[in-house]
Amino acid sequence: MMPTSPVIPLFVAVPLAGAFAIALLGKKTRIIPNGMALIVTGGLIAFSIIAMRMFSLFGVHTYKLGAWPAPFGIVMVLDGLTAFMLFTVSLIAFLVILFSISYMERYSGRWQFYTLFLLMVAGMNGVIVTGDMFNLFVFLEVAAVASYALVAFGTEKHELEAAFKYAVMGSVGSLFVLLAIVWLYSYTSTLNMADMALALQAAGSTRVALVTGVLLLTGFALKAAIVPFHAWLPDAHPSAPAPISAMLSGVLIKALGVYAICRVFYSVLGVSPQLSMLLMVLGVVSMSVGVLLALRQWDLKRLLAYSSISQIGYIMLGIGIGTPLGFMAALFHLFNHSVFKSLLFLGSGAVEYATGTRDLREMGGLGKRMKLTSAAMLSGSMSVAGIPPFAGFWSKLLIIVAAVQAGYYWFAIIAVVASMLTLSYVMRIMRYGFLGELREKWAGVREVPFMMKLSLGLLALICILGGLLLLPGAREFFLTQAARTFSVGTQLASRILGGV
Amino acid sequence: MSFDFLKDPQLFRYDALSKFVGVFVALFFVLVVIYSIGYMRGRKGLLRYYLCTLATFVASLGAVFANNMLVFLCFWGFLGLLLYLLIAFGRNERTPATAKKAFIIIGGSDALMLLGIVILWQLNGPGEPMSILSLRMDALSQPLNGSLAVLGYLCLAAGALAKAGAMPFHTWVPDTAEDAPIPVTAYLPASLDKLLGIYFLGRLSLEVFRMTTGMNTVLMALGSFTIIAAVMMALIQHDMRRLLGYHAVSQVGYMILGIGTGNPIGIAGGLFHMLNNAIYKSCLFLSAGAVSKRAGTNDLAKLGGFARVMPVTFSTFLISSLAISGVPPFNGFASKWLVYQGVIETGQSGGDLWVVWLVAAMFGSALTLASFMKLTHSIFLGQPSTDVPAEQMLKRRETGFSMWLPTVVLAFLSVVFGVFALQVPLRLFVFPSIGGDVVAPGIWSSGLASLLLVIGIVVGFLIYLAGSLRKSRLVEPFVGGEDLSKMPEMRVSGVDFYETVQGTGVLKGIYRAALKKLFDIYDVLAGFLGWIGQGLAALHNGILPRYLSWCLVGMVVLFFVLIR
Repeated sequence: MMPTSPVIPLFVAVPLAGAFAIALLGKKTRIIPNGMALIVTGGLIAFSIIAMRMFSLFGVHTYKLGAWPAPFGIVMVLDGLTAFMLFTVSLIAFLVILFSISYMERYSGRWQFYTLFLLMVAGMNGVIVTGDMFNLFVFLEVAAVASYALVAFGTEKHELEAAFKYAVMGSVGSLFVLLAIVWLYSYTSTLNMADMALALQAAGSTRVALVTGVLLLTGFALKAAIVPFHAWLPDAHPSAPAPISAMLSGVLIKALGVYAICRVFYSVLGVSPQLSMLLMVLGVVSMSVGVLLALRQWDLKRLLAYSSISQIGYIMLGIGIGTPLGFMAALFHLFNHSVFKSLLFLGSGAVEYATGTRDLREMGGLGKRMKLTSAAMLSGSMSVAGIPPFAGFWSKLLIIVAAVQAGYYWFAIIAVVASMLTLSYVMRIMRYGFLGELREKWAGVREVPFMMKLSLGLLALICILGGLLLLPGAREFFLTQAARTFSVGTQLASRILGGV
Repeated sequence: MSFDFLKDPQLFRYDALSKFVGVFVALFFVLVVIYSIGYMRGRKGLLRYYLCTLATFVASLGAVFANNMLVFLCFWGFLGLLLYLLIAFGRNERTPATAKKAFIIIGGSDALMLLGIVILWQLNGPGEPMSILSLRMDALSQPLNGSLAVLGYLCLAAGALAKAGAMPFHTWVPDTAEDAPIPVTAYLPASLDKLLGIYFLGRLSLEVFRMTTGMNTVLMALGSFTIIAAVMMALIQHDMRRLLGYHAVSQVGYMILGIGTGNPIGIAGGLFHMLNNAIYKSCLFLSAGAVSKRAGTNDLAKLGGFARVMPVTFSTFLISSLAISGVPPFNGFASKWLVYQGVIETGQSGGDLWVVWLVAAMFGSALTLASFMKLTHSIFLGQPSTDVPAEQMLKRRETGFSMWLPTVVLAFLSVVFGVFALQVPLRLFVFPSIGGDVVAPGIWSSGLASLLLVIGIVVGFLIYLAGSLRKSRLVEPFVGGEDLSKMPEMRVSGVDFYETVQGTGVLKGIYRAALKKLFDIYDVLAGFLGWIGQGLAALHNGILPRYLSWCLVGMVVLFFVLIR
């Protein structure tokens, strides 16, 4: 009998409720939006730790909405990968909210910000926990639409332009996904992922699975900003307010893109060798193109946006390699990237908060005035560049080990070269932003408020100590059981339905 | 708190080689801290500076004693970050750029080392994926067979060479010498990074890999080229620190040459030279730092005549520059002598290339001497520059205790390790590291020569005393009735001693290209990547239909690949 768990729907229900509560009650006061957002995201961290614990004790859990049995009703599924992703999203969301409390003081309409923020979190969590294809699409759109609005939150000219491009390209992606889901539904007569997987297995290898596979891959690759589907990201991510950039680059592209690819292909459609190779090639192309473009940016946040494209490439490479080690490495890098990229975006936000500029050419010497920000940015940079012993080093190491072990030497070499170039673009940030003599016009610059420092400091701490997650006990709890989901693959379906 | 993990052979080990390097890491740490007390006085962020220095010390010890490859890489990579942080204490305009460049070269080579370690692990029967976390150096003995093993060796050696500052990864060293605070230069590029880089190259070549003749030849060629090319660059420098920086590169060549010979004499010579170089090179930097602190400039054209005001610094500088030029009986000679013998020894197994390496090494030594003639003359001898304000001249006096003590200790070591080369450093440190005594055809016993030198000096001094005891008449030198001090154009600064070299024949073109940084691997790659990036950036023109068309093209390609 498959255990059921009432915790699972809370991941969607709590942020959704929080969002509406803020919209109803939070217009006048400052305390309700701030407090509510903190409590909700903090609670989500607690839930996600409970979820991981439950999974390691009892295995896969499901929850049936309205107690309808599985193929007919909507199920939510909690397995290792889900629990891992929920933890990542909740952790980043909490720390970003911590940062926003001070940062968003300058904006009007804070209650709208927090409402949209929690809606986006609800959408992401929904994508992660759902066991139903159509629900996947719905939650995808909830998160995506909230993020379109958040990118345009500043309502300046370039922000609106970026949001428009993002909305158009995002909708094109969603449409491909919808088309594929409709097609699959008409072919298998079911929307339940587990049921659909069984039906496809029964039908053998079919053209439908292949064609819908391409459509789904296109759609999710658009969300994940994999080259050549990446063009919206360098406009959208820098234009949003810094906390939102951190959320978009830190978790949104992974929940809607990378996670969805993993879930749909590994648990439903099945993975062919060509697809694995394709994922690896896409990964390598992404990491190279992203890094080459990041090298020449002067806009701090735009540089970080290209860096995200490049780092997603590493994750896709790890997933494409297809060995248990590759999956584990990819998930570890996914987690690390969430942490260091949101740290770097929040750091860029802190710089913008203090100086009002994002142009590296206008900065210089800020390390003298913003000691903690500069130290936190340095540790984030070291992590993204994979300098030992920072967290990013370990996940890159594992990806390269996985590539070499599977015999993909050229991919390993490209990954190493891209890593060297990564170091040079992050050093560009440090050199132009924080080193050197302080410019006269920044003489009055002061360090950011306490809450922002706290958030940066916590993220930096994870960047420094993240390597400890590879110690045997933590590794099993945190990474291995999540990576095992991939090896289970489409077998998951029979387990879920078998327990009904 | 328990320190049992330090005794775990999985993680650390303490053999003769690592103890040897560890002892001198500690020595340089102590000397540099003493020197910094004087040199860095009154600067901001001193707490951070000393913390970084201490962390560098600890991380260096960690790297030296590490047995586990990944533990080693962690300490090693962390050292790169610390180097960056320490360079950033410099106050030149170009300091941020230099810190960035040094870290990109050092940290970038860490990524190569990572690949090297992974390949090494793959070649040694990987098994369980996480076994990479327990890859031990002393358990490895990888033959260099097949391209994968060679690639692994090259990746790891690139890390060692970048840290030691050998060509073609050397370009961060002269920049750092120019833009970092002097104690930092003396601490990292001049001593610790040399010790660590050559230590690791030694470990790789002696233990982790089983070298082949071909790879040894590559190392020797690289070493010889480094010696000559760097010293040629040093000849034409106008900045005191930058000149010393090029010598720091050039000397690495001898160590690589020594290790590349692959025979015990040459390897002993290479390791011994690593030690000697660290001693005299940090002494040179520290002495030069004392001068530049008093003079307020590093420009050779503005220095001169410092022998009179800074006698202690002058003597330490002179001793070290004789040592670096390989003049007996100082330590530089003793180790170069071993390296030469190692190179000659390789000739016994056939081939004529050893002549080339030997000539390069000896010629390099001569050029080093030439370039230090220029340097010593421009700083300490000659007339003080005339365009220095008078109040600046008044400040010129000997440095304080904390700044000359380290240089005196180092100069003393230079003499002792030269005169008693066999008795002290070779017996105590170098020979145990390569497992037993080395019988060289001619280990130079310096006893007689040193004795004669000392007698000569004593006799000379006695004659001088005898001469000054007699009443003598002191007069100004007669130069055709002119007063020299009133004629600035009569001053010979020494800056342009070797200008002619720069303007002759083929060298002219090479120098011009070098000054345009055409040989700087960092700038060349940056230019190339910038060019590619420009093309990619031109594609991103911000127009939505173009972006959408990429998506369509991408989807068509996906269709084509997945459904054929």
